[in-house]
Amino acid sequence: MFKFSLVEFSIRRPKRVIWATVALVLLFLTQFPRIQTDTNPKHMLPETSDVRLWNDEVDRTFALYEDTIVVGVANDTGVLNRETLGRIARITDEILKLEGVASRDVNGFTTITNVTVEAGTLKVGPLMPGAPKTEAEVEALRGALFGNPLLVDRVISKDGKTTAIYVPLEKGANGAVIADKIRAIVAGEKGTERYYVAGDPVARDTFGAEMFKLMGIFSPIAGMIMFIAIQLMFRNLSLSFTMMGVAMAAIILSMGTLIGAGFPVHIMSSMAPVFLMAIATDSIHIFNEFYFRYREKHDKLAAIRETMAAVSRPVRFTALATTAGFAVLLFMNIVPVQVFGGLIAFGTVVLRLFSFSLIPAILTFVKEEKIAKAAQNESAELDRTARFLRRIAEVGATRPLVTALVGLALVAAAIAGAAQIHVNNNLVAWFKPSSEIRVADTAMNQALGGTSLGYLVVNGGEAEFLKRPEAMRWLEGLQRHLETMPVVGKTFSVADYVKRINRVLHDDDPKFDAVPETADTVGQYLFLFSMSAKPADLDNVVDPTFQKANLWVQLKTWDAEAMRQVIHAAQAYQDAHPLAATVKPAGIAYFNLVWNDEVLGDLVLGLGLALVVVFIILALDFRSAKWALVAYVPLLFTILLIYGVVGFVGKDFDMPLSVMSTLSLGMAVDFSIHFISRLRQRLVESGGATDEAAVREALLWTAARPGKGILRNALLFAAAFSVMLFAPLTPYMAVGAFIVSMMLISALLTILYLPALVMLGRKRLFD
Amino acid sequence: MKRWWIRIIVALLPLVLASQAWAFTGEEVMRKSQAAFLYPGKDFKARVVMKLINKDGQERVREMTMLRKNTGDAGGDQKYFMYFFQPADVKEMAFMIHKYPARDDDRWMFIPAINMVKRIAAQDKRSSFVGSDFTYEDVSGRDIEDDTHALEREEKVGSRDCYVVKSTPKGADADFGSKTTWVDKANFLPLKEEQSDKKGARYKQFSADEVTNVKSIPTVVKRTMKNLQTGHRTEVAYLKTDYDLGIEDSLFSERFLRQPPRKWVE
Repeated sequence: MFKFSLVEFSIRRPKRVIWATVALVLLFLTQFPRIQTDTNPKHMLPETSDVRLWNDEVDRTFALYEDTIVVGVANDTGVLNRETLGRIARITDEILKLEGVASRDVNGFTTITNVTVEAGTLKVGPLMPGAPKTEAEVEALRGALFGNPLLVDRVISKDGKTTAIYVPLEKGANGAVIADKIRAIVAGEKGTERYYVAGDPVARDTFGAEMFKLMGIFSPIAGMIMFIAIQLMFRNLSLSFTMMGVAMAAIILSMGTLIGAGFPVHIMSSMAPVFLMAIATDSIHIFNEFYFRYREKHDKLAAIRETMAAVSRPVRFTALATTAGFAVLLFMNIVPVQVFGGLIAFGTVVLRLFSFSLIPAILTFVKEEKIAKAAQNESAELDRTARFLRRIAEVGATRPLVTALVGLALVAAAIAGAAQIHVNNNLVAWFKPSSEIRVADTAMNQALGGTSLGYLVVNGGEAEFLKRPEAMRWLEGLQRHLETMPVVGKTFSVADYVKRINRVLHDDDPKFDAVPETADTVGQYLFLFSMSAKPADLDNVVDPTFQKANLWVQLKTWDAEAMRQVIHAAQAYQDAHPLAATVKPAGIAYFNLVWNDEVLGDLVLGLGLALVVVFIILALDFRSAKWALVAYVPLLFTILLIYGVVGFVGKDFDMPLSVMSTLSLGMAVDFSIHFISRLRQRLVESGGATDEAAVREALLWTAARPGKGILRNALLFAAAFSVMLFAPLTPYMAVGAFIVSMMLISALLTILYLPALVMLGRKRLFD
Repeated sequence: MKRWWIRIIVALLPLVLASQAWAFTGEEVMRKSQAAFLYPGKDFKARVVMKLINKDGQERVREMTMLRKNTGDAGGDQKYFMYFFQPADVKEMAFMIHKYPARDDDRWMFIPAINMVKRIAAQDKRSSFVGSDFTYEDVSGRDIEDDTHALEREEKVGSRDCYVVKSTPKGADADFGSKTTWVDKANFLPLKEEQSDKKGARYKQFSADEVTNVKSIPTVVKRTMKNLQTGHRTEVAYLKTDYDLGIEDSLFSERFLRQPPRKWVE
């Protein structure tokens, strides 16, 4: 009875409730300036996850950098001319001076290690120490570039039109600031060259900016749209303000708590304001009922009390279901999803507390004549919307069997579609095709070896293992095998250095472009190389004890599946050519694969959990498993339909969509709860008869009156999320589309199929 | 012409050393330091053990015999001969440098596995010496004229009084932006050196960890170079150090690179 006393308290002391809320909101608002975003895809999985620990270990073993900015330089007439090379040299020089750049390991024309032989002298050193001054020097550079397979597809495209400067960053460096400085450096160069500034730090930064855009621009627009929609529905400004005020207060309390507790905002939680705004629309049922009641009684306080009494149970249970739907996310493996689940669950609880305190408090201030004026239109008999809803329910209630059979056919089709769903998270595809990131990624992928990087760590289990010629040749064979795959652009290993040195020592004779015969020769070659090369050159591909080699695999796509193909290919190669070594994948491409599989696992787990939890809540609410089953149908039906469409369309089923499908259970079930609760209430209020005519009449009444609340709720929800269809990142768009269609479809299916099912199962339900 | 000047200055060195009241310039300190650190004796031999240690503490060992012979005075030409013992698979590899202060060195490497002597281009004195944190310049010296040297102050390192000299490259060819050297006032050995990169950030740090007299020549027998940015460091110990052994000039030739006399490399 706590809720009732809360309502009473709020009606008696409305001012106190309002001022307390305002104070609370201001208090939580103070946390906002401390906001931090986290756009690092690695943080999708916890720090202690195997893949992150392993990747960190690989980074350490092979002295790899966590972050690298790639600067692409393209010239349609070729980059190998004095002007462009001069620019590249100047740009590289400027980049080397930037704070936070690991200058010693920047690789571009002027800094990358080249191994050549000139007039019998072995030369290991920077490819182009300074910009060429004569045409002859340019031609010599061209010869050096295309004569060294280590450089082709890495710093020069096969057509000679694109080059890249790889700029690794020191730990803790601000990638966004450095990328900006690099943009300023290239902007200072006049000429026909095109420049691309890409890489993880740039992507993260762009991502962060888009997240702020979503929170700062799209969320307020969503709020405006909802405000207008509410105003159109109720034609009462103070009511519209109440709804929005409640939503805003809940958003500020939730986000304030998140920020105050020190959590950074991820892609998922950046959507929280829109979600909370939409969830706040559940209080539409309170207003909806209040209008009807006021019209009947013309006593404001009594109407408030009665409204709260009538809707309290469904509102409480829908809130419970929504909370549970989001709380299920706490059991997921993906960190941002957990945070998001906790955040929205918290926000939903806050919203419901407001439903029983702030809303009744504000209602006491609404002028009676205004309510009277607005409520005039609120009549289930007169209202066009209400009549429309009644007609839909009539179809279900009078032709239940046909309706059910049509539904079954649709379900079958949807299952066929859902079977074609393929789970894939492609982080680059999260940006729109016209975005700077996608453009740069596409251009660099076409010109060079591939932007998505995976590693295969070959571990021979004992020191010096890799100096054995058979191990070297095995590595080389594995590379050639991988390079036959369409997704693989370029591979790179210590064997490439060994072959290169062998050839160069023998006066560039192609016959010697091979792994030499003895381990000592390999050892001496690499020693010779390490005497003049940058330490990182060898460290990146082999550990100091020569026990482990790191084979670099550049992929042409960020699709998670690409790395799986590489792993399978490596396995197949090992089966065909056994070697006493293990091969373990690593790198960002591997991380994406693991994460992708976690998303799939989470999807199955989350859906399963949500289905169970929601069923339990329904069964508790209705005190009947049978009613719970009935209420379940529109819900499952909706989700299956959407999965079917996703499958047929061929859209990647990614993390945001997978999260949405879990959540949608908790949100879409609201409609069933409202419908069935009010239906049964109505049957009791109208005398308790459960014969066919009485049930049908009650169904039609429910469809027309609380049904209108359901429709309004769905429309508001959809209106809020429709904004996200125009959002700058594709996951936001996908979420927007998902929620809009889910809300509309589930509202429709609730009003159509619940009557059909209730009529079909009437005898069993009311026995 | 330059050589001539150097000779004069070197010839005057004993005088300079004798007079404590003499106020040195930074350049003079560095010149004397170079002579004391890299040019003592007519020739020199040591068994050098280098430990290359990464930031996780993993060690790689390089062990070699190093021979040096001055062909001129301090600051002049030198010849180096290095014969490797470790890592095991590079045993018998030999490396020879003819060092000329004002121009590129000549370098040769003998690769026993394919029985080949190869000339190696010396385009980059800044590159790492056998994979260690020392560059070729750190090992065999940098031309004094390449930098401007300013005597900044006097300071103690441990119990030793030192000159503190800041050296700034005149050209852009150095791998550092500036370096500061603490030079022992008594024997002119560099006891400490701090290098900054071109952005002014701390880059590398040298320390002379142990100094002993060998044939009454103060010699740094233990030294460390640490890369402060990568956490990688190299510890070097000079064992069996000796001076003025009478190493023949003919040793520093391609023929002996393939088959050096036992007595010199063991």
